[in-house]
Amino acid sequence: MIIEKTGYHGLYFPELNIAMDGYHPDAEAIFVSHAHADHMPRNRSAHVTATAATLDFMRLRGFRGTSTPVPFGEKINVGSAEVTLFPAGHILGSAMIYLEHEGGSLLYTGDYRIPPSPASEGFESPDSVDILITEATFALPIYRWKTYDELTEDIRGFVSDSLNDGYTPILLAYNLGKAQELMHLMAPLNHPMMIHGAGFKLCSVYEEHGINIGNYITYDRDTCKDKILITPSSALAKGFASNLSKTRIAYCSGWATNESRRTQLTVDKMIPISDHLDFFELIRFCKELSPKKVYITHTPNPDVVQHYLEREKIDSSFLDFEMNMED
Amino acid sequence: MTIQFRTYCETLQQIRQTRGNNAKTRIFAECLKSIERDEELQLAAQFIGEGAFSDLSGKRTSVGSRTSGVAAATFCEIDYDLVFKPCRTATGSSSETISRLMENIPAAIEKRSLVEIGLTDIQELFDRLNRAKSRTDKEQILWESWGMMTPVEIKFFIRMLSQGSLRIGFETKSVVSAIAQAFDQDPEEVRYAHMITGSLGKTALLARQNRLDDATFRLFHPLAFMLASPIESRKIDNLHDYIAEEKFDGMRAQVHVKGDQVKLFSRDLNDITSSFPDIVNFFRQKEIPPTVLDGEICLFKENTIQPFQLLQKRMGVKKPSQKVLQDFPVLFIPFDILYADSEPVFHLTLNERRSLLEKLSDDYHLPITNQFEIHHIDKIETMFTRAIEHGNEGLMLKNRLSIYEYGQRRKSWLKVKKPGGSIDTVMMYAHAGSGKRGGTFSDFTLGVSVKDDERYEEEFIPIGKAYGGYSDQELKELNQRIKELTVERYGPTLGLKPGIIVELEYDDIQVNKRTKAGYTLRFPRFRAIRKDLGSSDVNTLKDVEKLYREKMAQQRSAQSEHLSFLYKRNDSNK
Repeated sequence: MIIEKTGYHGLYFPELNIAMDGYHPDAEAIFVSHAHADHMPRNRSAHVTATAATLDFMRLRGFRGTSTPVPFGEKINVGSAEVTLFPAGHILGSAMIYLEHEGGSLLYTGDYRIPPSPASEGFESPDSVDILITEATFALPIYRWKTYDELTEDIRGFVSDSLNDGYTPILLAYNLGKAQELMHLMAPLNHPMMIHGAGFKLCSVYEEHGINIGNYITYDRDTCKDKILITPSSALAKGFASNLSKTRIAYCSGWATNESRRTQLTVDKMIPISDHLDFFELIRFCKELSPKKVYITHTPNPDVVQHYLEREKIDSSFLDFEMNMED
Repeated sequence: MTIQFRTYCETLQQIRQTRGNNAKTRIFAECLKSIERDEELQLAAQFIGEGAFSDLSGKRTSVGSRTSGVAAATFCEIDYDLVFKPCRTATGSSSETISRLMENIPAAIEKRSLVEIGLTDIQELFDRLNRAKSRTDKEQILWESWGMMTPVEIKFFIRMLSQGSLRIGFETKSVVSAIAQAFDQDPEEVRYAHMITGSLGKTALLARQNRLDDATFRLFHPLAFMLASPIESRKIDNLHDYIAEEKFDGMRAQVHVKGDQVKLFSRDLNDITSSFPDIVNFFRQKEIPPTVLDGEICLFKENTIQPFQLLQKRMGVKKPSQKVLQDFPVLFIPFDILYADSEPVFHLTLNERRSLLEKLSDDYHLPITNQFEIHHIDKIETMFTRAIEHGNEGLMLKNRLSIYEYGQRRKSWLKVKKPGGSIDTVMMYAHAGSGKRGGTFSDFTLGVSVKDDERYEEEFIPIGKAYGGYSDQELKELNQRIKELTVERYGPTLGLKPGIIVELEYDDIQVNKRTKAGYTLRFPRFRAIRKDLGSSDVNTLKDVEKLYREKMAQQRSAQSEHLSFLYKRNDSNK
């Protein structure tokens, strides 16, 4: 099967006229795995196919084209191929795209998380597949995540301790996905939360899809004291909550496992919570699925993954995309 | 109760995760207080501030980052080049990488079982590593050690081994404060005892035993050097308290003399006696009373201080040949005295020390720096220009009422210097940073143009590597730009298309035959990122050569013609 690159870092299958996570003028269908900027087609007026939640997010983030919503698990026909979306566990609406045609089957993971994010539809995959195209953002054995139970304890502990000590907790997290996941995990604390405007407008989609993200309003500088604050780290430099003298800051990202990030960001707490799977889950997943061929994308270290897959006698190569360092 | 290494490392980790110096100091003071045995107290203070061995012991474990990396890869059953190295690039730290692999990799988890080890056991392991000769022996000891430790212990164990910083934001000054706090002593007295003993361990013990008065200076044990701050960095409102001296283009050294026993120490407190037999002989012939002097080793030839580039022929040469000694003669020019006539004098004011130094210089015909009065701030500029004309590096301003503040960089001494110059360069490579800059590209190789240079085929060649001078914001923007310009990747290094032009400031230009350009810059750093310039505006190698020739040809006046230092040699055979 021919795999071409298209758009910023999307894929195009010319034999099937199918594009994934990128625009192609000849595509009969363009599938979007999830609504993070590096996976949405740059062409804002294309016709795309995705889950309803992904389409909701896309519209809120400026997409103006037409669309076909597809529920998870439902087979749709595109030319001679059948396409099914599987929940990827990365963020709400995130899907792995499974493609079957006479030549065999292929699974494109987009971004995925095993075990799945508690603020997503979970994770499911086909039992077997011929070709696997997988992301490998955290493809080094220095990355092994704590369980969600441990992470939840870290997050709630940080927030409660800060509030008890008279400090306003600030969680640094990406606007879409991480922010709402944290809110979901903190909801049982029943403490008012304030989220930065760019993330706030995306919150209602979570609630419409039945995910409890607690008691929240949009960030307001004058009244933010003693609330739980959630913001991307870039807003800190622009004066976010700079009127408060007593704050404690937690950086919530997979990259928080790297010690150097602490001094680079000057934060009080590093919470290594990622919406990607870790190295060990990645190798385990490949082994379990045992495809004939694995293509590795979205990683600075394809060689390491290939080295481990070789040991499992799985053939693999690197599909060279630009790396997006936003977790 | 004896303190476990595990408990100790958990305390270190807690200090690291605590913000604010007072809070950190409190944690460590509590830790010190909880230790009962003297030996363990000494080690607890030493490990955090000095590492595996005390600064005074001169001992090293000689376990490099490659040895520990390879040993860790074997322990974890992973490939060193294929797996370990990319992990180290991602974290920017060898010790962090090892500790995380130990935590994550099943094969490594299986090999580790928790054994209770005390601080004295750790000392024993460090000693064994120090005695081990071969890499294989060292590896065996590392494996044995790691087999008993948690990942946090392993991380700090490795950082102690390399005698570097533990990277917990808690340096010597804070350790001294914690000792004072733990044993309810005056911080100034603790600091003084540390200056005398040169050992945090001994200081902690003396503090606990209420015997800080016992700390006495010992000849032939180096005292940490007093350092100067750049004048730009300090606000000075009492300039009339300062005197000026010219700053020589040499190498700082401390000389200890007693009878015909002479020792020299470099600024990092290493014994450099064997490199300078001529200075040793000089002092042997003088027969001065027991003395410690602080000063500058200069290449002194034809009655003139020669450029630093020539002094380099003597630096690091363990046993210089007769020919080297003849071609590159050196002179030690004292500017301070720390021990006079068998008495420590570093607690006296500079004025008082100066009188002692002048008397010694008079009596035994030693060279001595000249001091100049600063009557008015405007005079500094004139004096600076004159120092440069003399061929010197710049000026030192010293507060005459200050004591010798060992190991500190405060405002009692100020240096007035001017950058050697700056050139416009193109960014050729970006390297992944390490330590606190891990995970970003923070070190850059910069190049000059050889487009029209018949000796070269390429367009640009490297001239220096800079890792400072930019702001955090600029570094962020650079990292963004670099992504767009990357054409090649060699492990942690990115090859870039010409596109980023940097005005590079340096202290000096040196000949270096091992580089492609034949020249290197001393202490290159960013002055500005020149968005207004393009790659055709970059300076050429020929420009660099011209700057070098100008620098070497610069007129230097002979010692007899000016007064940057005094040296009466006519009757030096006294």
